[in-house]
Amino acid sequence: MKRTAIDSVKLGIFVLAGLVLLIFTLYTLGKNKNLFGSRIELRTHFKNVNGLLVGNRVRFSGIEVGNVRSIRILNDTIIEVLMNVDKEMKKFIRKDALAQLGTDGLIGNRLVSIIPQGGQASFIEGGELLASREELNTQEMLGTLYKTNENIAKISEELIQTVQMVNSSSELNKILNDGTLAANLSLSLKKLRETTESASLFAKNAVETLKLASEGEGTLAAVLTDTSLASDLRYAISDIRKLEGRADKLLCDLTDAVGSINKEVNEGKGIANSLLRDSIMTERLKNTLENVERGTASFAEDMEALKSNFLFRKYFRKKEKEKDK
Amino acid sequence: MPLLPTNFRIFLRETGEIARFTGRFFVEGLKPRYEFAEFIKQCFILGYKSLPLVGLTAFIIGLVLTMQLRPTMEYFGVEVQIPAMVGVAIFREIGPILTALIFAGKIGSSIGAELGSMKVTEQIDAMEVSGTNPFKFLVVTRTLAATLMLPILTILSDAIALTGCFLGENLYQSLTYNLFFRKVFLNLAYIDFIPAFIKTFFFGFAIAIVGCYKGYSTERGTEGVGRAANSSVVISSVLIFIIDLIAVQIANIFQ
Repeated sequence: MKRTAIDSVKLGIFVLAGLVLLIFTLYTLGKNKNLFGSRIELRTHFKNVNGLLVGNRVRFSGIEVGNVRSIRILNDTIIEVLMNVDKEMKKFIRKDALAQLGTDGLIGNRLVSIIPQGGQASFIEGGELLASREELNTQEMLGTLYKTNENIAKISEELIQTVQMVNSSSELNKILNDGTLAANLSLSLKKLRETTESASLFAKNAVETLKLASEGEGTLAAVLTDTSLASDLRYAISDIRKLEGRADKLLCDLTDAVGSINKEVNEGKGIANSLLRDSIMTERLKNTLENVERGTASFAEDMEALKSNFLFRKYFRKKEKEKDK
Repeated sequence: MPLLPTNFRIFLRETGEIARFTGRFFVEGLKPRYEFAEFIKQCFILGYKSLPLVGLTAFIIGLVLTMQLRPTMEYFGVEVQIPAMVGVAIFREIGPILTALIFAGKIGSSIGAELGSMKVTEQIDAMEVSGTNPFKFLVVTRTLAATLMLPILTILSDAIALTGCFLGENLYQSLTYNLFFRKVFLNLAYIDFIPAFIKTFFFGFAIAIVGCYKGYSTERGTEGVGRAANSSVVISSVLIFIIDLIAVQIANIFQ
């Protein structure tokens, strides 16, 4: 039998390494389940825990802080869940925090989430009953989704009809196929832009004017600011009203007069009628006027002749002299 | 005409003899005058000397498992769960069973051959004459050493296999050791680790006791030595799987 040299140091290292790894593994597994370190207890009530198990994780704002210690049925609608939570969490979890059931990922383990509400409630001390919030139910979500889908189906059907109508409408097609429309539109837009520019200019002027007015310069300012002007204006307006009344009367009289003239003319009487209708009289009047013109001309000639007459010459000279002075 | 077929009778007789042998181990092992030096020596030979082989296989299996799982896990879009999955596989099953099988191959055959050759060369008889209890000196020390060393080997090979898995992960993506470590242990519980750890004691005991029995009961010269070495490996390997099956059943009761 061949003797094997025993190295006790190597054996010691081998055994120690195994034991250290064993203890380390046991400790790590225990730490994962929060078996070590002091813990406090929290309670919450759910209607339905949906398969939550003892030992499932408890998270606070997404950080793992403990696990589910026990689940028991209080009555037909209340299930109490007891949770072990790290004692350190006393400094962070407030009494108004909500407990909600959830799932780790889509198909992972069930878990309880403690959700802070951001209030100013005091911190937990252990043994508190946290309010719970029902989780989003997949069945309900699917129900809602079903309704939404039906609505979408309806809408899409109606949309098809609308599109078909649009496609079959010749007027719309004409508009769509009209090449000049774009040019017209751009021209219109250009005009619109110009109009807008002038409008803005106008607005700018108006603003300046109003500014001037508010600063107390110009006529408008006077109009706007002078109070005595207002009373004057009122009097003027009342005068204008009175005048209006008179003008009405005048108009009435005038209408009467014109009416009577018209009447006379229509009846063939009076001077106006003769003037307007009688051609013989017109001729005569014309002749008379011509005679008067001729008479006046002869009279002017006579007067010139009279000026050169010795009897009157002296008088005319004297008059011219006075005029020269 | 015998009542039972001959082969079955042999099997039953063998089983009964192993049971008696096991009983003798407890009787002799509890009696004072312990062979402590021989026990330490056997621990060194069975435990420490097996570590390179066990470590190599564990490392390779961790690496290969990671690489083989990747395509399937990617297909399902859960390649992030590879460390967790490999961790559970190694701690629950692959670590203990692989280590035990390698251990059976190396230790079962060596015990069977060593004791068998001692038997056929009449060294055991000589030992008895010289006043040393050969059962105590040869069987009890080896069985105790194997029973205690296999769990240590298993936990070391678990760690080495996880290192292989970590390297396998880093072939495809950059993963820090810290994150890998957390991923592995987050999905593990005591129920995954403790039953698997306890069963390794039974594996070690079964390997050593079968090897010792086969060696101790060797007959017909050198031919018998070869048969003893061979059958001790075969029987202990089958026993490992039977114990594993029973252990899983028992562990499931507590789950």
